[in-house]
Amino acid sequence: MNLKTVVKTLFIFGTMTVLAACTTKHGINGANGVNGAAGGSGAQTSGLSEGQNFGDGSGGMGTGSGQGNLLAQRTYHFAFDRSDVQESDRPAVLANADYLVAHPNVKIIIEGNTDPRGSREYNIALGERRAQAVLALMETRGVNRDQVRLVSYGDERPAVPNGYTEDDYQQDRRAVIVPQQMG
Amino acid sequence: MRSRLRQLGLFFFGFFLLFPLCAHALLSMELTRGVSGAIPIAVAPFVQQGATPPTAISAVVGNDLKNSGRFTVYSDAGVLPTQAPAWYHSNLGADAVVKGKVDNLGDGHYRVSFSLSDTYQHDKRAMLAKTYDNVSAASLRMLAHHISDLVYQQLTGVRGVFSTHLAYIVVERPANAPARYSLQVSDEDGYNPHALLVSPDPIMSPSWSPDGRRIAYVSFEHQRAAIYVQDVVTGRRHLVSAFPGINGAPAFSPDGRQLALVLSKQTGAPNIYLLNLASGHLRQLTHDWSINTEPAFSPEGKSIMFTSNRAGSPQVYQLNLASGAISRVTYSGNYNARPSFTHDGKHIVVLNQTSGYFNIGILNLDTGAFRVLTASSKTDNASPSVAPNGSMVLYGTVHDNRNMLAMVSTDGGIELLLPIASGDVQDPAWSPWKS
Repeated sequence: MNLKTVVKTLFIFGTMTVLAACTTKHGINGANGVNGAAGGSGAQTSGLSEGQNFGDGSGGMGTGSGQGNLLAQRTYHFAFDRSDVQESDRPAVLANADYLVAHPNVKIIIEGNTDPRGSREYNIALGERRAQAVLALMETRGVNRDQVRLVSYGDERPAVPNGYTEDDYQQDRRAVIVPQQMG
Repeated sequence: MRSRLRQLGLFFFGFFLLFPLCAHALLSMELTRGVSGAIPIAVAPFVQQGATPPTAISAVVGNDLKNSGRFTVYSDAGVLPTQAPAWYHSNLGADAVVKGKVDNLGDGHYRVSFSLSDTYQHDKRAMLAKTYDNVSAASLRMLAHHISDLVYQQLTGVRGVFSTHLAYIVVERPANAPARYSLQVSDEDGYNPHALLVSPDPIMSPSWSPDGRRIAYVSFEHQRAAIYVQDVVTGRRHLVSAFPGINGAPAFSPDGRQLALVLSKQTGAPNIYLLNLASGHLRQLTHDWSINTEPAFSPEGKSIMFTSNRAGSPQVYQLNLASGAISRVTYSGNYNARPSFTHDGKHIVVLNQTSGYFNIGILNLDTGAFRVLTASSKTDNASPSVAPNGSMVLYGTVHDNRNMLAMVSTDGGIELLLPIASGDVQDPAWSPWKS
């Protein structure tokens, strides 16, 4: 395969990937209700369809509808300059942890995000602390560390782009569990 | 792994090739505050021999000088005659006048000459006079910036930065489509933007090599942070850091051989490392569980300033590279971050929050005097980057509910906004002088 073909193929592949992201974006965002315009991009491409399986699978596991709802809660918000998981989010985090323990082939990414104020790289560090806090709570249930990867986007992917109100900032400060392909 | 990275590179290179290059300016420049007592200067339209050149050199020079905030420019082509005696410009109020000539040599090449004279010296001798032979049409704009540099230096005593470049991130969020991030490089006045990288995933923290030929940046392709170093001219890039967790805040050493960067290895405790770009050897510089990030080399390369929250809130610290000693540098306000040195090593520019908004501040390292440069700002600012001559700071601001770039002089007297027609523009880095 010569260079031209490779580039052409990759471009077509890339376009398809982006298109795939467009069409499936709705699924994952529907699942956690937040993220709207901020998510979407190719950043979530590979895991999107499996993400729906992840949610649906919980029902199939017979973990009960109540727990299924908790499983679907995969966005957790944080107070200003804080990285501790709020009490109200603990049951959902733990439900997702239990699911991972029961499904050792499932892998997730925990994304950490901040509001847009302050220094970008410092916010990257804050975002990782938020993702880390979710992971630490999951580990109390015996989640295998190899099933989880952390990525911090800092303020690069706000939940409310170009939103500059306190309410917008509150939506921005979040950690999100993003299911990946089955191992 | 390697071949996969190669494919990725080609993939993005393909995007780059297919992305139509914008012919003009993405950013414009609006001087919002200039110095009082600016030098009055007339820039006469250059005399043309033959067909009209594609770039009006006098217009570019006039704009450069005006946007520096240090000149009051008389340059309206409709008003100023191309040739007039010195008293004419003196009567206008100008202390100095730039005049010039563009000869069309045919074949798309030009001979350009210009002079800078004093309007009230009667000895007719120009302060500055130069001729450039065989200038290609495509280089006329660059030559105009060069002339601006020479005029600026002659009249202010400081080397101009009109020939330098800006790197920044443009984010477009079309309705019902994924966001599109691009790393762009343009001339200092916003003209000739080129996309070095276009990605559906965030790109951040562009950082120039000291020779201005390469840019290190962070890209989140495939939901992983990684640091690349890209050749600005060829567009070729190399992956230099892709550890699990944070790969962030790249900064070249003054000799260009090392890259300071930040790795967390997913611990939640980012630390600063030094990467030898030739050998790949990695040396850890900070070793603790607080946040350590945003390294910036001092001009002589002996120390690094960085941001740390080791005392609770983020503050700037200095690390002596020989001894490893760390000392706190900032004390004004509860948030000081993203330090960068001025060219003389005597000041650092930081992002500061004293009360309310985030502002750009400057700290005199000798006296400890701290000054907020964007005190009149009624919005949050970020990402300060200092011009190579130390005259101005380029930074990110919020204007009309969008991220835009702005500049402020290091004495606080001059302010500019660099609006973009659509989307957000953020995270800028001012290039060094090309060597």
